[in-house]
Amino acid sequence: MFINALGLIMADHRNVQLGELIRPRALSAVPIGGRYRIIDFMLSNMVNSGINSVGVITFNKYKSLMDHLGTGSFWDLDRKTKGLTLLPPYINFASADNGDIDDMTGLLYYLRGERNKYVVVANSNVIFNATFNELVADHEESGADISLLYNLDGIRFGAPNIILETDRRHYVTDMLQNPEKTPTSRCFLGVMVLDRELLIDIVSELMSRGIRVSSIDSMLLRLHKQYRIRAFNYKGLVLRINSISTYFAASMRLLEEQTRQELFWSGRPVFTKVKDEAPSLYSADNTVSNSLISDGCSIYGSVTDSVVFRGVTLSNNAVVNRCVIFQDSYISEGVVLENVILDKNCVVRPGVRLVGQTDYPVVIGKGAIV
Amino acid sequence: MARSNVVAMILAGGQGTRLGVLTKDLAKPAVPFGSRYRIIDFTLSNCTNSDIEIVGVLTQYQPLVLNTYIGTGHPWDLDRTNGGTFILPPYQSSSRSDWYLGTANAIYQNIDFIDSYDPRHVLILSGDHIYKMNYAKMLQEHIQQEADATIAVIEVPWAEAHRFGIMNVDKTGQITTFDEKPKNPKSNLASMGVYVFSWDVLRRQLIADDADPESSHDFGKNIIPAMLSENRKLMTHRFRSYWKDVGTIASLWEANMDILDRPEEIDFRDRNWRIYSRNPIKPAHYIAAGARVVNSALTDGCNIYGTVEHSVLSDSVTVEKGAVVRDSILMPGVTVQEGAVLDKCIVANQTIIGKNVQAGAHITKTCIFHNSKLCSDGIIVFERGLKISDQAQIPGNCMVEYREGQEMDDIIEYQFRIR
Repeated sequence: MFINALGLIMADHRNVQLGELIRPRALSAVPIGGRYRIIDFMLSNMVNSGINSVGVITFNKYKSLMDHLGTGSFWDLDRKTKGLTLLPPYINFASADNGDIDDMTGLLYYLRGERNKYVVVANSNVIFNATFNELVADHEESGADISLLYNLDGIRFGAPNIILETDRRHYVTDMLQNPEKTPTSRCFLGVMVLDRELLIDIVSELMSRGIRVSSIDSMLLRLHKQYRIRAFNYKGLVLRINSISTYFAASMRLLEEQTRQELFWSGRPVFTKVKDEAPSLYSADNTVSNSLISDGCSIYGSVTDSVVFRGVTLSNNAVVNRCVIFQDSYISEGVVLENVILDKNCVVRPGVRLVGQTDYPVVIGKGAIV
Repeated sequence: MARSNVVAMILAGGQGTRLGVLTKDLAKPAVPFGSRYRIIDFTLSNCTNSDIEIVGVLTQYQPLVLNTYIGTGHPWDLDRTNGGTFILPPYQSSSRSDWYLGTANAIYQNIDFIDSYDPRHVLILSGDHIYKMNYAKMLQEHIQQEADATIAVIEVPWAEAHRFGIMNVDKTGQITTFDEKPKNPKSNLASMGVYVFSWDVLRRQLIADDADPESSHDFGKNIIPAMLSENRKLMTHRFRSYWKDVGTIASLWEANMDILDRPEEIDFRDRNWRIYSRNPIKPAHYIAAGARVVNSALTDGCNIYGTVEHSVLSDSVTVEKGAVVRDSILMPGVTVQEGAVLDKCIVANQTIIGKNVQAGAHITKTCIFHNSKLCSDGIIVFERGLKISDQAQIPGNCMVEYREGQEMDDIIEYQFRIR
C-alpha cells in the first residue's frame, strides 16, 4: 500500500476538557477501551493507510504520551528514516522568556525535512477505524487546497464542533464554531489533508504574524475564506470525545456488538503498547456480564456493563456497574461502584460506595486512595 | 568484538512426537501454552530476565511457525545491536551438509557461531519446559565453584525418578555418576536439561564426540558421561520452584491447569519476572450478558457468550451462546458453536467445534480417532484448522485429525488452511 503522505497528530485539543482525566496527561493519552489510549486509533488509521512517517505535536504533560509511544515500535514506526517523531514545544531562551510555548519552529523543521507530497493532519478527540487512502486520492483528484472529513453528527456531541456548509460540489462555503442551531448536520471530524508545502506556508505565515496555531480548528476557521476547502463524508462509526460525559458514553458504546465489530474486527488492527501482562484469572464465584476485560486482571467480584483495563483486581463481593476502571486499580471487598470512572493506580478501600449518574459519572483521579 | 561472558543456545528443533497432532505442523516450543504464551516464551523470557543478550535458537523440525514467532526477538527485548536472537537451522557447507543428529551435534555444528562471540561460558537450554529460572545465579555458582559444567537439577518424586536423567551427587553437590532413566534410581535429582559449560572445555568435548562414530551425539547420553569419565568437575545447581516438562498430552494439560489451580506456584504476575510473548493485537476480551466464566484464564480477543469453567483460553476464542467448555484448553482463534459441550479437550488453533458437538469421557461409543498411545486421562485433542461436524459425538482419549481420503466417522466436516 503506497500513500504519498505523512501524518500529523495534535496530541491535545485546547477546547476539550476532560477534567481529572487530563490533569496528568495529554488528551490523546487518555486511556479508553480497556487497553488503548485515544491516540492509538488515529495512529493505527495512519499506519493502516500506509503512512510511515508520523509527527505528534504536543504542548504539555507529554510524559505519559512519550511513555506510551516509546520508539513507535508497536505501530511499526521505529524506522531508520521517517517513523515516529514527537514534536514538543520548541522552546529557546527567547521564547521561554516571553512565555511563548506555541513556537512551531520544530514543526516547520519537521515538515521541511520530509519528502511526502501530502500531510494528513488529525485531532485526537475522535475515534474511528478507517484508512485515509480514499481521502488522499479524492483530494489529489479534486485539486482542492484542503480536504477535510466530516460526518452527519451535527451538534449532538456538544462543543467543541465545527459545522460545515457546502455547495453542490462539496466545497465548503461556510464554517460555524459551536452554533446553537445549525442548518446542516455536517460536522468536521478533525481530519484534513493538504499539500505539505501549503502547510509550511500557512504555519510560517501565521507564526510571522504572531498568531498561535495550536489547533486545526482555529487554523481552519481563520483560513477557510482564503482557500478552496473540500469536504469528504465519512460514513463509518465515529465516537467523539468532547467531554467527560461523551467519553463515558463512548466507553459504554464500546460494549455494543456493532461498535466492537466495526472498531476492532474490521480487519484493520488497532495497535497499542504491549504490556506483557499475564492472562486474566476468573475466580470460582465471580459474575461478569456485558463487559470488556483486559489482561492481567483478577476477577472475584461482580462486573456489569463496564470496561476494565489491564492489571485490575476486583475483590470478593465487590460490585462494579457501568464503570470504567483504569489500569492497575485495586477494588477491595464489599465495594460498590456505579457510574464511576476510576483513573490509574487507584485503591478503593473495603466497603466504600460510590454512585454517579448515568450521564454524569463520578471521576476519581489518578492514584487516589478512596 | 569484546569478549562475551555467556552465549545461550536453545535447543528448539525437537519434534515432540508425543504431542501428536499438536506438533504436526509446528515444533513443540511453538505450541501455544497458558492462554497468552507459547512454550518457548518461558525460556526466552528467562534469558531476558537473566540479562543474557546473545541467544541462539536451534531449529530443525517444522521451523516456519517458530521462526516467524521469534522474528527479530523484539517481544523479548532480544533485538540487540550487540547480540540478540539468532535462528540457527542446519545448513550446508563445502565439506558437509547434515541435519542436526543430536543435541550435542546441533551445538557442534554451530561452534563457529559461538566462537564469533568468544564467550567464557555457554548455556545450553531446551525450548520445551515451563519454569522461571535465573540463569545468572546458576552462572555465578558455576564460576565460583570453578566447575567445568553445572547442571540444573530438581527433586522429583521417587516414583517418577525412573523417567528422568538422574544425577548422583556427593555432599558438595558435585556429580559422581549419572543414570539415564534408571530402573532403580539412587537419587531423585533429575536433570532439567539446563547446562552451563565452560566453553573451552565443551568445545573440546564436542569435537571429540563428533569424531566418535559410536556416539549418538547427545548431551545426556554422551557428553556428560564422557566428562565424568575424564574426572571433570561437574556440579549441580538446585532448582526449587515450579518446573514442568510438557512433553506429553497429559503433562501439557496438567501444566495448563496448574495456572488455574496453583497460580501462586507458577506466578505469571510477578512484575520482576515477566513472561514476554508476541502480542496478538486484539481488543480486550468481551464477556456477554448471560455468559458464565469461572475458574478460568482468558486473554485478548476472546468473545464469550456461553459457559467457560476451569479452562485456559488463548486469544481470539469465541464460545457461542449455550456452549459449555469445561476443563479444556482452547488455542488461538478456536470457535465453539452453539450448544456444543467440551469436557477435557485440547483444541488447536482456529478449529471450529460445530453446533451441539459432544466431546468428553462420558460419551460411550467407539471412535476411529481413539488413541490410547498418546492420549490418557480422557483427554481429547483436536488438530488445528478443522470444522467438526454439527452433532458429532467424541469419546475420551481421542486424537481427532484430518486423514486424506479416509472415512472420518462423520466427525470432521472439512479441513481448512489456517493463517
